[in-house]
Amino acid sequence: AAFGLYFPRKEYLENVYMDQPAGTPLLRIHALRDSHGEAAHFHLCQNLIISRARSHENHWFQIREKTGLLYLSKSLDREDFNMLSVGNWMPLSKVMLYVFLSSHPFQEKECDSATRTTVFLSLINATAPACSSLTARQLCFTEMDLSFHIKENKPPGTFHQLQLPSVHHLCQNLSISYKLLAAEGMPFRYNENTTGVSVTQRLDREERERYELIAKCTVREGFREMQVEVPFLVNVLDEDDSPPFLPNGTDTADAVVEFNRKEGTVLATLTVYDADTTPIYPLESSRRKYTGTIITDDPWISETFRVEHIFEEIHFSPNGSQVRGTQHEYKLVLNKSISVTEHRSFQLDVLVNDTEFHGPERSVMLHFNVSILPVSIQFPNMTYQFTVNRNAERFAQIGKICIENCMKFRGVNITYKLLPSNVSCYPVSILQGREGKWGSLYVNDSSVLRNPECKEILYTIQATDKQSRKHAKTLLYIVLEGTLLKKEEDCPDSCAVSKHHAECEECGGLGVLTGRCQWRQGSGKGITTNYSTCTPSIKTCPDGTCDVIESKDPAVCPQDCTSGNIIGGHGKGIGNLGIKSGHGICYCFPRQNCYCEKDDIKEQLCDDVCKTVI
Amino acid sequence: DEILRSLAGPPSLPGQDPHGWRVPVDCVRANELCAAEPSCSSRYRQCLAGRDRNTMLANKECQAALEVLQESPLYDCRCKRGMKKELQCLQIYWSIHLGLTEGEEFYEASPYEPVTSRLSDIFRLASIFSGMDPATNSKSNHCLDAAKACNLNDNCKRLRSGYISTCSREISATEHCTCSYEDKEKPNCLDLRNACRTDHLCRSRLADFHTNCQASFQSLTSCPGDNYQACLGSYAGLIGFDMTPNYVDASPTSITISPWCSCKGSGNLEEECEKFLRDFTENPCLRNAIQAFGNGTDVNLSPKNPSPPITLPPKTEKSPALPDDINDSNTMYDTSVITTCTSVQEHGSKLNKSKEQSLCYSETQLTTDIMPDQKTFV
Repeated sequence: AAFGLYFPRKEYLENVYMDQPAGTPLLRIHALRDSHGEAAHFHLCQNLIISRARSHENHWFQIREKTGLLYLSKSLDREDFNMLSVGNWMPLSKVMLYVFLSSHPFQEKECDSATRTTVFLSLINATAPACSSLTARQLCFTEMDLSFHIKENKPPGTFHQLQLPSVHHLCQNLSISYKLLAAEGMPFRYNENTTGVSVTQRLDREERERYELIAKCTVREGFREMQVEVPFLVNVLDEDDSPPFLPNGTDTADAVVEFNRKEGTVLATLTVYDADTTPIYPLESSRRKYTGTIITDDPWISETFRVEHIFEEIHFSPNGSQVRGTQHEYKLVLNKSISVTEHRSFQLDVLVNDTEFHGPERSVMLHFNVSILPVSIQFPNMTYQFTVNRNAERFAQIGKICIENCMKFRGVNITYKLLPSNVSCYPVSILQGREGKWGSLYVNDSSVLRNPECKEILYTIQATDKQSRKHAKTLLYIVLEGTLLKKEEDCPDSCAVSKHHAECEECGGLGVLTGRCQWRQGSGKGITTNYSTCTPSIKTCPDGTCDVIESKDPAVCPQDCTSGNIIGGHGKGIGNLGIKSGHGICYCFPRQNCYCEKDDIKEQLCDDVCKTVI
Repeated sequence: DEILRSLAGPPSLPGQDPHGWRVPVDCVRANELCAAEPSCSSRYRQCLAGRDRNTMLANKECQAALEVLQESPLYDCRCKRGMKKELQCLQIYWSIHLGLTEGEEFYEASPYEPVTSRLSDIFRLASIFSGMDPATNSKSNHCLDAAKACNLNDNCKRLRSGYISTCSREISATEHCTCSYEDKEKPNCLDLRNACRTDHLCRSRLADFHTNCQASFQSLTSCPGDNYQACLGSYAGLIGFDMTPNYVDASPTSITISPWCSCKGSGNLEEECEKFLRDFTENPCLRNAIQAFGNGTDVNLSPKNPSPPITLPPKTEKSPALPDDINDSNTMYDTSVITTCTSVQEHGSKLNKSKEQSLCYSETQLTTDIMPDQKTFV
């Protein structure tokens, strides 16, 4: 860069008192260079910023262009103070100045250079204090932390002066001396004559990024000696001076597409390291600086795949001290769902480019061995056979139909259909399960079950892949068994209405498999997922999900599906549907409220001890 | 947010100004006044759009507009917490001030009026409970007492349960609503700050927090103007936004507060990021304010006759259960020891940033070193 001067800190702070004489030095600002031979020129923007919106022309402060010494050019009297205090809401008035930096002498009124630092001046509404009233801390350091940043790979130079110009000017009778306590071999030097601190060599962030020193100040006043120590911190700023590299030399990964063919699937990941830091903020600009591009002429490949880049900070320890670096991950991702018939293999190359690194090794090539395998839509080598009790009610769940590997599929949408072969006996239907993986068989017409003429029913099931229209068929036998039970009078439609064990098992209801509801006995401890309840089938209700068959009719399993009020101690299920947990027994009136309550008071109201007492 | 606004207390009393300056009108009112005057047009805001301060001032017309604005009530206008049309007020405020900051100011000034009022009584009740007689109440759980106090108040109860039921709803199996604080990933704090600054309300609340909770060396309590109430109010004002702070763990002895972010991935801005985060995690003003609120000592505090600053309690990892008759960290320090040495008192709250070695050095070293041991003997 042509213009590389910079400030080693973002902010400076000093106090200004009333009626301090013109010529009082306030503080010293330093600049560091980018290359040898650069000379710093300091310039003050002639705008004092008082509060956010208010500003005032600067009549009081000036900076020496060559040395960076900020001084009072005119004393501030009470009137000036009052004027500058307006708009300041804080008890302490602060004004703000911008100091600009350039490698050439400033033209008049130049006020927009990118390199600037901020000086805060606290206006103390009193005359300068007597030196004897200042504490050692106040005599030695300002309130601002001694914290600096130095860019790596830049020439050495002085970046701070420990002595406070204002105090030195005010308290000439006091002896104030400084020392910089640093471990052996640290690249910093303290000059006792100027109290300047300089960096003695080019720094390398990848070697060490933080130096912690201690600035020690001794104040002597007659026989009294006081010492103050404060931390003196130097952070090394990073620039892109390291190329990307591969951990263990791994640049190849296998990417297999088989059952999971859904858009967004991550097929394989390769990792690239870089000793430089990469800010995750702003994210998009960092992504642009470190690119990963698929190298291909094949439009099908560039449409079907994409590369996702994520990165995170990791730590390296080059010589015992930890420094931050970056781990870049390049993920090969399906850009669209792939058809089950697709079959190919090829190598896909991704070029990773560290665009800000200036060197020959700025890029690495990653290789993905991609295999896309076709999958077949077929049923297992058998016919399905389910036995259905003649007393089963509508919405009783009979079983699941699934093509081979159906549970492994993602991004493949299978439709299941029943092709009836015997029109008069047609008791069951099929419904699509979630994500198009399986089909659920259920009783659709319970009157057919009661028909003595229907015994064995044969269906053909067809499974079809939506995208490719590939399909498979198999046979389904439904065998009806059991003798018809006499229907109880006064039984409700829904098992969930029953509140007691006995009445539950006496009745049937929508969704029952054998004509009778089932009782689930809970653990009875507080509000639990294992609450007591009456259900058509313990296997499916309540199981925490409102499945496709249960959602056909609210009377089947309100325990999983209700969206109404639940009265009593309870926890609601996912999406506010159903009773996830309840207290005691939970029962429901479909399309109305559910109730969870503890009604089995088994303890005696008065036990033997109690009776004796009475 | 409605809840928090109501908990954070009534807006400050009109006409009260601790510093004797003229009390500005709120920005909604100022905007109305400005609209009624032909000279106070919207010219200035048109000038500001998309420009920084210096480019704007380079334009003669804009400079004239600024001069007009300086005389208008819009110039000094502020907003009140929980006022009617708070968002509109803040929008007016930032439309004037946004371009002047150039977005790189570390701390922004609060658009809110200074807090002069106390927190509302509901909010206070818990500490009144516990503050009355520490010995008899030492076994009570202050948070339960506070929850009880809230549930006995119809307004507090209604708003509290409203917030809880919304927040504890489960949307889907993968999307748990741990609600306002935690998230799947921890963003970078500077990124979070940026997100917050794009929202007028969040930006204002954050600026208010920085104004009222910024650790200050000038006061005994480390809080600006020794005003604990203001700090607690603006801390509570952040809840409900991107920058929602919370306790990082359930440790009863150490109070650590943080928004849901970290400084991982800061690159060259790590120093700035850590400085930002430390205003939450290692802020002596905020910590003292929270501790004082717990003790009920914050209301008694007045700048002229301050109670001794609460030095952070020495680390006591080994004693999870405190003996019942030690009620708080305050009593462990004999105030007479501290007042013998003014320089230490002044710097005692500086959180080890500096170490003053003067004549009193050994004396204070002794006291702070001995105290943890004494504690275990009690």
